[in-house]
Amino acid sequence: MPTADTIAPRAIVEAHGISKRFGDLEVLSDIDFRLDSSEVVCVIGPSGSGKSTLLRCLAFLEPYDNGSVYIDGQLLGYDQRGGMRVRAGERRIDEVRAPVGMVFQHFHLWPHRTALENVTEALRLVNGLSRRDAEAEGMAMLERVGLAERAGHFPESLSGGQKQRVAIARALAMKPRVMLFDEPTSALDPELVGEVLDVMKQLAADGMTMVIVTHEMGFAANVSNRVVFMDQGQVVESGPPSILFRQPRSARLKQFLNTWRERHID
Amino acid sequence: MFDFALLWEARELILQGLWNTVWICFLGCLVALSLGLVLAALRLSNPRLFGYPVACYVELCRGTPLLVLLFLLYYGGPSIGIRLDAEIAGVTGIGLYGAGYFAEIYRGGFKSIPKGQLEAARMLGISRWHALTRIQIPQMLRLIVPPGTNQLIILVKESALISIISVDDLTKNATTIVNQTFSVIEPYLAVALLYWMIIELIARGGYALEKRLANRQPRHVTPKGDPAHAHG
Repeated sequence: MPTADTIAPRAIVEAHGISKRFGDLEVLSDIDFRLDSSEVVCVIGPSGSGKSTLLRCLAFLEPYDNGSVYIDGQLLGYDQRGGMRVRAGERRIDEVRAPVGMVFQHFHLWPHRTALENVTEALRLVNGLSRRDAEAEGMAMLERVGLAERAGHFPESLSGGQKQRVAIARALAMKPRVMLFDEPTSALDPELVGEVLDVMKQLAADGMTMVIVTHEMGFAANVSNRVVFMDQGQVVESGPPSILFRQPRSARLKQFLNTWRERHID
Repeated sequence: MFDFALLWEARELILQGLWNTVWICFLGCLVALSLGLVLAALRLSNPRLFGYPVACYVELCRGTPLLVLLFLLYYGGPSIGIRLDAEIAGVTGIGLYGAGYFAEIYRGGFKSIPKGQLEAARMLGISRWHALTRIQIPQMLRLIVPPGTNQLIILVKESALISIISVDDLTKNATTIVNQTFSVIEPYLAVALLYWMIIELIARGGYALEKRLANRQPRHVTPKGDPAHAHG
C-alpha cells in the first residue's frame, strides 16, 4: 500500500484516475487531482460537467468506482485486503476523512438547533468537549465568520448568507486541514454573495487549503492559485488563473469563458 | 322521558370502565409509539436487512382488523401456550396494531428530513447513532405531531373493541348498565361523552405540543452576561 512518502510528501488530497458512473452515464472519467498544503483551487465548468461529483468523491460522499483518493496519504473509502479492494467500514472512512471539512450549496444546517448549537454539536459528540468548552470554541468560530451576535438564532431566522457562514463555522470548528466548498454561493441572493466570499477570502489569506466548486469567476481569478476547468467528466485544462483566463488553450474553455462574459456584460 | 339519575346509581361501573379504558389505552399507545419507533428506526438504518420485514409487519397491521388480532391473542393464545388476561391481551393488541401505523407515520417524518443534513453530519464525523438520535429523531418527532395525534385518537376509539374480549372497559360497562336498567340512551350517551373527553384531552395535548415544538424564538446566548444580543 502506498504511503505518504512514496506518493507525495506535501499533497493533502490526491486523486489518481478516478471515475464514476451513474448507471449508463459516466460523470467522471479518469480524473487526476492533487492538492498541496495552503493551495486554493477553484473548479469551474458548465453544469453537468462533473465538478460537484468530483468534490463529493474527494469526500467519499459519493463512492468513486475506479482509481484512488488519498487524504494525507491514506486511501479513502476502501481497504486493501489480500490484494482485493473492499469498501472500508464507516469508522475507518470517518477517520481518513477527518482532516476534510465540507460546505454545501444548500448549507444543510440542522433547523432544530441554534447557530451556536450547529457549531458545537460535533465538538461535543465527536470531540467529547464539555458544553462549556464547546460553547467557547463555537463562539470563537462564529466570531470568525462575523456572526457571534446571532449565536442564539435558529437557521430559519438567518439570511442565506448568514446560514452559509454558520455552515463554514461549523466545518471550521473541527479544525479541518482542507475545506471543500460545493458551490457555496449558488443558492444565495446576489447581494448576499459578497459576505460569504469575504469569509472565504479571509480563510485563504489565513493559509487554509481549499477546493471550491464555483461559478464566481471573479473570485476564482483573484483568490485561487490554480483553476481547474472541467467539461463532460474530464479535466480539460488547469493552471494559474492569470494564464487560464487570459490564454485558454482549449476551444471548450474559450467557449465557456465567452458565454460567461456575454452574460455578465449586459 | 330520560332518567339520568340512573347514571348516578351506576357510577361505580362507569368509573371502573373509564379507568380500564384509560390505562389500557395509555399502555397500548405507549407500546405502539415505542415499538413503532424501533421498527421505523431499524428500517431507516438498514433498509436491506429490515426494510422487507418491517414493511410486511406494517401491511399485516393495516390489512387485518384489530378485532381479529384481539381474538387471536385472547382466544387463540391459549392453544399455543400463551394465556393472557383480557386486559393484557387488550394492551398487547392495541400496541402491536398501533405500532404498524406509527412505524409508517415515523417513516414519513424521517423521509421529509433533507438528506444533506446527514451528509453534513457525516462530514463532521458524527456517528450514525448520534445522527439518528440527535438530528433525525428530534426533527421527525416535530413533524409527526399532527398525524401522530390523529392516530392516537383512532386507537382510543378502536379500543372499544376490547369490550368484545370481555374487558370491563367503558363500552362493556355501558352495555352492562343497559342490560340491568333497560335504558339504552343514557348509559351510551354518558360513555360517548367520556370517550369524547379523553379524545379532546389528547387533541389539545397534541396542539400544545405542536406549538411548543415550533417555538424557535432566538435564545439568549450570553457567555459574558450581555442580554442585549438576544433579539437581533
